[in-house]
Amino acid sequence: MELINYVEIVVGVLLIVLAFLAINSKSLIKAVMFLSSMSMMSVIGFVLMKAPDVAVTEAVIGSGLVTSLFVFTLLSVRKVGNKA
Amino acid sequence: MIDIIVFGLVGLGLLLAIFRLLIGPNTQDRVVSLDTINVIVIGVIALLARAFNNSLYLDIAIVYAILAFLETVVFARYLEGRKHGNS
Repeated sequence: MELINYVEIVVGVLLIVLAFLAINSKSLIKAVMFLSSMSMMSVIGFVLMKAPDVAVTEAVIGSGLVTSLFVFTLLSVRKVGNKA
Repeated sequence: MIDIIVFGLVGLGLLLAIFRLLIGPNTQDRVVSLDTINVIVIGVIALLARAFNNSLYLDIAIVYAILAFLETVVFARYLEGRKHGNS
């Protein structure tokens, strides 16, 4: 096996572990952090599969857009819940 | 031979950063470990661009570096808003 195959195995195992932690964590901000780190690992996975355009799209959407949307939604929900 | 050592050390750093993300006592430790994982991922993409002999992958590293900064700022905004928004 080449070195790249071992890197692919490590990235795949980390993807599964981080996805399991993201759906099983208690607090919501912790789940958003695990989802963000899973998105990072999937960027490395797309680079390893030699798909650079998919990796750029995943980096823009997964790391920038989805994390910002979830964090600002969590902030606004908590603020409304404290006022009521 | 040098690639095995470099990828092994980078993978060890990634594993320790994920361990800190898992067991971090409070949210600030987790945000700092997320920033560390971002830097490690940018380094891995640059190392893969060297291993594939293709400079197209460096564009991914540039785009990812800009968005990693935005992500850290968004998490910092969350921590600040949680502290001030209790009234």
